[in-house]
Amino acid sequence: MSRKTKVVIGKVGCDIHERGALTMLNVLRDAGMEVVYTGRYQTEEGVANVAVSEDADVLAISDLSGSLVIICKKVINELKRLNAADIKVIAGGLMTKDDIEELTAMGVVASFGTGSSFNDSVVFIEKLMVEKEKE
Amino acid sequence: MNSCNSCNETNKKVELDRDKDGLVRDATQSHIKVKPMYNPDDLKDIDYDKDIANPGSYPFTRGLYSTMYRDRLWLKSFIVSYATPEETNKAFKSYILNGMNDLRLLADLPTQSGIDPDHPQAWNSMMCGGVATYAMNVYEKMLEDMPLEGVTYETAHQNVSCSIYFHACLVAIMDKSGLSPKKLRGSGICDPIRAKLVYASPDWTTEINRRVCMDHVEYTMKNTPKWKAAAPNGVDPCQGGMTAIHEIGGVVAVAIAIIEDLEKRGMTIDDYGSMVVSLDAESDFFETITKFRAIRKVWAKVAKERFHAKTDKAMMMKIGIRTSGLSLQMQKPLNNAARVTLQILSSVLGGVNSIDASSIDEAIGLPSHDARMFNLDTQHIITHEANIPLVADPLGGSYYIEWLTSKFQKDCEEYLAEIDERGGIYECLESGWLANLMEQNRLKIQREKTEGKRLLVGVNSFQGEEGPINQAISNCAYKVPSEEMRQQRVEEVIAYKKNRDYSKLNPCFVRLYEDTKSGANISESVINGVKAGMTIGEMCGIVRLGYGISYDPFEMCPTPNYVEESLKECE
Repeated sequence: MSRKTKVVIGKVGCDIHERGALTMLNVLRDAGMEVVYTGRYQTEEGVANVAVSEDADVLAISDLSGSLVIICKKVINELKRLNAADIKVIAGGLMTKDDIEELTAMGVVASFGTGSSFNDSVVFIEKLMVEKEKE
Repeated sequence: MNSCNSCNETNKKVELDRDKDGLVRDATQSHIKVKPMYNPDDLKDIDYDKDIANPGSYPFTRGLYSTMYRDRLWLKSFIVSYATPEETNKAFKSYILNGMNDLRLLADLPTQSGIDPDHPQAWNSMMCGGVATYAMNVYEKMLEDMPLEGVTYETAHQNVSCSIYFHACLVAIMDKSGLSPKKLRGSGICDPIRAKLVYASPDWTTEINRRVCMDHVEYTMKNTPKWKAAAPNGVDPCQGGMTAIHEIGGVVAVAIAIIEDLEKRGMTIDDYGSMVVSLDAESDFFETITKFRAIRKVWAKVAKERFHAKTDKAMMMKIGIRTSGLSLQMQKPLNNAARVTLQILSSVLGGVNSIDASSIDEAIGLPSHDARMFNLDTQHIITHEANIPLVADPLGGSYYIEWLTSKFQKDCEEYLAEIDERGGIYECLESGWLANLMEQNRLKIQREKTEGKRLLVGVNSFQGEEGPINQAISNCAYKVPSEEMRQQRVEEVIAYKKNRDYSKLNPCFVRLYEDTKSGANISESVINGVKAGMTIGEMCGIVRLGYGISYDPFEMCPTPNYVEESLKECE
């Protein structure tokens, strides 16, 4: 691989729950990835912009307010607008089964609910990068 | 079909190892190493009368009252806050009918960030985690036909601005209904440390939070004496990663700061009365019980020795519980029933004063009705079938519990000394020392989970397929409001703002601004503003202007014209 996998973790809106985002920040770093965390209280446009300017491979959206569907829809549109649809979007946090279906349908490549194993996310992103290399 | 879930696997050959799945830990959840057994030798340095004493006697280790729950059970509380005031009102009433007697109020996340629904940053989390209670009219709808007297209310919001604003809403509604706010009973969290340490709450700065918290405390002591304005909170720092020692030490340190600030305003701890706090009931059973016994003892000593309290009341710490939301898991959610039950039990055995139990579906979404009823019924079963509350502090005298209580007390006092050395709790917040401590322990816990030194059933151990009961729990969790519902709310608040009587509202803006600037107590101007229709976003913004910072905490919108107009005359 030419460079480290780069992940931006973003939080949008007024959701205060941060533990998942902070945990993933460390987990992904420990797995050898380069990770940028936007902090809380951001906008969709803001996090998409960070992902683009950081030249990220993955934009991971964390939310525990139950609004992942609303947020990810806007984030994906914003990435398209910025000609950055190659940045893969992952969702993490509070989600129902219906949410997961909707997220998948809109192009979110993986959804990790609360309590998902850290390792699953790491393995998923690593696989995603292998596929990307092939492309 | 009633087949068992594991039937798919039973065709395989099965082997059994008697010693498989044994203990993996030799320390409590907060890393306190414990021996396999305790005996009288471990209690050599503990004097019953001085260190433990009967329930109802200083230092209140065994509880605040001599007969404890025999005379009065703990309050059964929940945060009830769904997407709309109507749903919330209905839910409150149904829980009251089933035994809830402590009503915890909350708001959606934007309200708790100090903005109204018409702010662009509100959209994504609007009506999530609670009602968009932007002004008094929403409170009236939410509390319609509910008692205001003879009931305990709590405002559980993340920040100081919400605490003062929603207390003002309750006062305004009581005034309007012809009731005396002097009878308003309850408490608000209003913890300036938690607001920043855990939530990085954008509404106000710590300087504003600290001052307004004390304005609010002072005002309530005089005008709504049955309302405890500030209840230092350990729940959320603990959920953020703090150990049990740091949780209770932090809470006592905030309580110390409140009393010190109060003394600067010419009042004493005896004027203040009992200290109300909120703590976390975590999964470690004995550690949780012990934590509650220890903090009562530590506070009683602080009150007596540091602040020279003369009254018993001033030495008493009343503990409100929120059971750990973080401990609840999405996988096999039925298991959460066991977790919550043990956490409620540890709270009762620890002699707490109120319990807000998390719901078994909370890792999936806002609690459903059934899950709430399970919580209430669990408490009824503990009370009426298991007879747990019959005798005060039934674990008192246990070698292990008394040793651990004493250990907790010593560690907590050391932690308090360290905070003092570092210049007090506010200095520890501003320097980032608290945040670092929280992060370090969070990472430690995370490592333990990864290394299999901390097992979570269904998550990193004992996984297995979920059957229909588990799936039903996952599927019935509360769904967040649609974008159409959010749009309606935005339109509602715009119309609300348009239709107010500005001849009454403008002077309220002016007075709040001037009181903020001059350093006068802002409580009354907040109450007057609420009565005239001032929203939470406006209150936050005007106070910010009074401190010379932007009206909008997110710096996305300018000061509204009508606010700028009304403040034009002020210098």
